[in-house]
Amino acid sequence: MVGALTRLFGTQHLELAEDVVQETLLKAMRDWPYHGVPDNPAAWLHRVAKNLAIDQLRRRSRGVELLKENAALLRSEWTLSTTVTEAFSGPVIADDALRMLFACCHPTIPPEQQVALALRTLCGFSVPEIARAFVTNEESINKRLYRAREAFRAIGKVELPMESELAVRLKPVLATIYLLFNEGYNSTAHSDHIREDLVEEALRLCDMLNRNAHTERPETHALMALMLFHAARSEARVDASGSIVLLQDQDRTRWDRSLIALAEQHLHRSAVGAELTTYHVEAAIASVHAQAPTFADTDWARIVGFYDRLLALAPSPIVRLNRAIALGRLGGAEAGLMALDLIEGLEKLHLYHAARGDLLRELGRSEEARAAFGNALKLVRSPVERELLVRKQGGVER
Amino acid sequence: MSKYMFLFRGGEPGIDPMTDPAGFGAYMQTWQTWMENIAKSGKYLGGDPLEPTGVTVSGKAMKVTDGPFIEGKEIVGGYVILEAASIEEAVELSKGCPIYTHDGVVEIRPVQHVDF
Repeated sequence: MVGALTRLFGTQHLELAEDVVQETLLKAMRDWPYHGVPDNPAAWLHRVAKNLAIDQLRRRSRGVELLKENAALLRSEWTLSTTVTEAFSGPVIADDALRMLFACCHPTIPPEQQVALALRTLCGFSVPEIARAFVTNEESINKRLYRAREAFRAIGKVELPMESELAVRLKPVLATIYLLFNEGYNSTAHSDHIREDLVEEALRLCDMLNRNAHTERPETHALMALMLFHAARSEARVDASGSIVLLQDQDRTRWDRSLIALAEQHLHRSAVGAELTTYHVEAAIASVHAQAPTFADTDWARIVGFYDRLLALAPSPIVRLNRAIALGRLGGAEAGLMALDLIEGLEKLHLYHAARGDLLRELGRSEEARAAFGNALKLVRSPVERELLVRKQGGVER
Repeated sequence: MSKYMFLFRGGEPGIDPMTDPAGFGAYMQTWQTWMENIAKSGKYLGGDPLEPTGVTVSGKAMKVTDGPFIEGKEIVGGYVILEAASIEEAVELSKGCPIYTHDGVVEIRPVQHVDF
């Protein structure tokens, strides 16, 4: 609804759109307990929001600088009601959410602000919820949103990018969705429902892109596949007490086979066109893991091969770290360790030291392994990961 | 580009929005379609439908008389102001107006340029 209204009013009136939606929800909270939830709640909300928007426009439109294309239609009683009604019609409102997603992920807005703005306007998260999702305080989220809104206002018109710009404009949108997903997935505070919501919202937004002929592209399917492969494993990633279960120890019967099947479908549909994105390769890696009946049966040669392609696409120390770990499985701990020692720039990352610890332990170099886990412990921030490292360090043979 | 005012007379569709909201909505949609097309080219400047009631104030004495003022068919039911390159273009633009299907009248008047 905020998307529909923002398209009508223009991005400079995001607050006006949000006010209308908030008032609509308040009205629902007042009315529904007394009169019961209406048969079609979405239609009820749209109708109320529509009427409130019309009221607002009648009262305030003279003083408000509206979007040029709509101003005359919204200021004329001939067309005011019909224009607002049209904006709330089914197919249009789905497109509006997409347009809004592109506006929130406009290149002029920094990535972390994009995510906050998308959560606020598209996913309906409150400021405290966003603050919890990012493990930060409300004040910094408010600041982030304030800056994001300033940039958002300057955009003016909420619209889907032209075909010629789509490839470029889609990139930050996908990046934001993936960031959202990772915020949810990699925080291992599994009991926190906000985190699960982030995963669901990321999937929902990506699904929305895939349902629109214009934005359904190979890389959109690749990202969907990648996220679904990971989501399929989420139940098996933590045990009953909330501790991390490593990939090698996961109960693969707890992987969600229906999500994996869906992921494979998206991966299949992503395999068209000429461009190979990092999402394609990461999804392919996740697919190899998903297909392996046991950890020992994993096709490590393919995984190392995919990491090589990933390195060619987007060289980064993190990818090299993951490649070294896979290489350790394929060619033995010695080979993995050699590859790890060649990486520079990860001295501050606990995962690097943890990976070294794992390989050193396998080689029987207990003293060094304990030291490596010790280094990792000095750097780790997440309490759940800390607990895992303590377990690992304790498990090194004396 | 000059400004033109369209004055609408007659052409009542005979649909009561209270008893037939869907039918009335469909009727208003025909106006919407027409005006949206003009708005898309940036030529639509505004306008409103008018209630059939009102008063007239006239003469030095500013005498107030209750409406309706004239015969039903003659009442101005609404107005639109738009931009057109010529009166011919204004006539063309008016041709999408749903008022004609109900035998209504559009009076097209150029806005006068007052120079002195």
